[in-house]
Amino acid sequence: MNTRRVAVLLGTAAFLVAIAVVAGVVEIAVTRPTIVVIGLVALVVALSALSRGHGVRTRFGTPDPERRGSVPVPGRSLSGTVDEFRAVTAGHTASSRRLRSGLRGAAVAVLTRFEGDSVEDATRRIENGTWTDDRVAAAFLSDSVEPPARSLRTRLAAVVTPAGNTPFQSGIRHAVAAIVAVGDDGERTEIDRQSLPEYDPEPDDLRGGFSRPGPTANAQSRTRTTTTAVDGIEAHRRRLTEHWTGIGAVALLAVGIGAVADSPAIVLAGVVGVGYAGFARAFDPPELELSLDRTLSDDDPEPGDEIDVTVTLTNESGSFVPDLRFVDGVPADMAVTEGSSRLGTALRPGESVTLEYTVTARRGTHAFDPAIAIARDLSRSVEREFLVDTETTVVCEPSLQPLATDVPIRSATTSFAGRVQTADGGSGTTIHSVREYRKSDPLSRIDWNRHAKTGDLATLEFHEERTARVVVLVDARLATYCAPDPDATHAVDRSVDAAGRIGTALLATGETVGLAALGPVARDGGREESSDAEQCWLPPASGRHHELQFRNLLATHPQFSTLPPSSACQWRRQLRSLRRRLSDDSQIILLTPLSDSVGGDIARRLEARGHPVTVISPDPTADRTAGQQLARVARNVRRTDLQRAGIPVIDWPDDESLDTAIARHAGVRR
Amino acid sequence: MTGTDDETITRRPTVVLSAATIAAVLAAVLAIGAGADSALAFGLLGAVCLAAGVVRGLPTALDVGAVVLFIGVVVGGLEQTAVEPTVIGTIATVIAWDLGHSAVDLGEQLGRESRTARLEAVQIVSSLLVGLLSGTVGYAVYVVAGGGQPVAAAVLLLLAAVLITIGLGTQRGRSANWSGS
Repeated sequence: MNTRRVAVLLGTAAFLVAIAVVAGVVEIAVTRPTIVVIGLVALVVALSALSRGHGVRTRFGTPDPERRGSVPVPGRSLSGTVDEFRAVTAGHTASSRRLRSGLRGAAVAVLTRFEGDSVEDATRRIENGTWTDDRVAAAFLSDSVEPPARSLRTRLAAVVTPAGNTPFQSGIRHAVAAIVAVGDDGERTEIDRQSLPEYDPEPDDLRGGFSRPGPTANAQSRTRTTTTAVDGIEAHRRRLTEHWTGIGAVALLAVGIGAVADSPAIVLAGVVGVGYAGFARAFDPPELELSLDRTLSDDDPEPGDEIDVTVTLTNESGSFVPDLRFVDGVPADMAVTEGSSRLGTALRPGESVTLEYTVTARRGTHAFDPAIAIARDLSRSVEREFLVDTETTVVCEPSLQPLATDVPIRSATTSFAGRVQTADGGSGTTIHSVREYRKSDPLSRIDWNRHAKTGDLATLEFHEERTARVVVLVDARLATYCAPDPDATHAVDRSVDAAGRIGTALLATGETVGLAALGPVARDGGREESSDAEQCWLPPASGRHHELQFRNLLATHPQFSTLPPSSACQWRRQLRSLRRRLSDDSQIILLTPLSDSVGGDIARRLEARGHPVTVISPDPTADRTAGQQLARVARNVRRTDLQRAGIPVIDWPDDESLDTAIARHAGVRR
Repeated sequence: MTGTDDETITRRPTVVLSAATIAAVLAAVLAIGAGADSALAFGLLGAVCLAAGVVRGLPTALDVGAVVLFIGVVVGGLEQTAVEPTVIGTIATVIAWDLGHSAVDLGEQLGRESRTARLEAVQIVSSLLVGLLSGTVGYAVYVVAGGGQPVAAAVLLLLAAVLITIGLGTQRGRSANWSGS
């Protein structure tokens, strides 16, 4: 460091003497060779500096807080989906060839469910290849079936475009297509090349391991500025940008060339370069005293409303901020729809600047993350990152529009009068039966017409109408955060929305409704030691106050967050504590996408405890790739299994409204 | 980093700085154009490279383009006696290189849609001022020295330039202290 300072001092001295010489104060005799020597020295220094290479230009990257975090599509990883099938087909042994044996398990699963085969029959049919018309698929899953000869064209295609066309990959595609054809409930269609699913390689973050599908930490951190809490303004990182890297060496080079070649123009060009090199070093790293004020046009919006966000930045320090890059910390589960939440500006002391943009409100509680402010000095050589926080929270309660159709509850009721028609005879409005008169029967129920005709006394029985005690249970485990395309509304959002509408509809007809959820309570990677205490539980009740509580919980409880959790939860423990709380006559409406076997497990366990369960299942599956198609088949298998176990399942496709799905289900049952 | 699949943010060089870069490149080519043909060939090649770099957001193309353009300026300066075109060409080249990189940086950090005009204006003005100031000082000394004792004054100025550049030099020493944090 010291030699540099000495060099600068000597340089300045030389400059002053030069001025003196020019002014005629001092006289020094210098010859031409001296100039050449100095020029050569400059050249050597410059070349050595260049040969050492220059610093690497850097900058702080910025995340994309204006985007929403995306959720995985079920079947993102083929091997993961195949693994799921092992759980479905109990008793199937795993062989060393994981994918193939998993697919065989899938084939057994669909053949036993949809073609009525026993497990032995299905295994035999797969072994001799009679389960499908597709020879490639049959040969792929069986050791005894010869694969058909591949045509020259197929071989050529495999050479030209190897992706998805190797014998193994094409085998997988054919096998999956054949399994899907069986799983499509008898609608067996001719399998042609065009309808084969795409083969997509394993996602990078899952390669090598059979990890469960779930949002990756990487995908999440890209949409958040930071996950740490910040108070006021906090300096975060500091770095040299190396923006001017190389300018000094090139300047010296020019000076050297100019001196040797006796060209004043080139020397002057070098002098300009020296000026820039000085500029690059002239400034202190920037300090930032920034105050942030964020106002929202609507603190309590309905889902889908547009909220205008106005951010005001004020430079509180007494110095000029020449270079400020600002990225606002838009909540991870909200997306900017209009304008930009970023700003590049310069701020005089005390000056303010405003930034306006629009976000679309989604259900839930959304807290703004700290904003990122990157400041550079005037020459852009040093960069500092600051985090600025000001607390802003939007609470968006779901719009509870009651269902247009009847809520599909089961006929299990309490002993209180209500509107649910039961199979029991008694007082009511719809005729149930006529029976012999007994002494204590009320006069109003006696069939007087019959008495007038025959003289016998008979009593009319009506269907008793009682209230139901319903608990709406939302399955919000990590695995249920999935959607048919990464940016679509995910299954948990749809479930919570449905829960709100079902709750409102039931409360409007006077039923008692409760609310519960299974899923991680903690967000932001926190541990959940005391998850039971915080698990969502609203005991069944009715009334206006209860309805408000119901609505509020759906908006604010962390288990219903639209932001995917960072870790899985212990659903068994949560289910146990839920079962302890449920009264015997409660029935359950379970909202689960059935994206893994646990969803069905929960329904079966509750049903086994004597709580009638109705499953409403938002469909999160897609059908582009082999993995996705297989995930869809797996879900169909789970759905069928539940229905065969006597639990009604309402399948709710992504492109349909809940009303339509329920109405269709009611139509099928009738 | 490149973010080609981004839906909301276009991480490409910002508009104002890109335009300023192109303008500076044109100025440099015009300054070179006053001199010899060989210089102009270098100049045009560098200009195309620089322009491509700033349009596509390629830092390496910016570096290469600036060096080639500067070679053009130097070749032009060696072949002619007038000093002014070389000085102007150098300033324009450095500005183009500086603003080009700034545009890429700003595009990566804030994206093209953001409101950045004020920041860009400050950068353009500061870069231009530094160039004009150092160019003017150098030129003034040259003009004054041109009459009197050219040799001694020129040598001392050269020495000053060399020493100051070494002193200010690269910022490697400082960067070592700052890594981490």
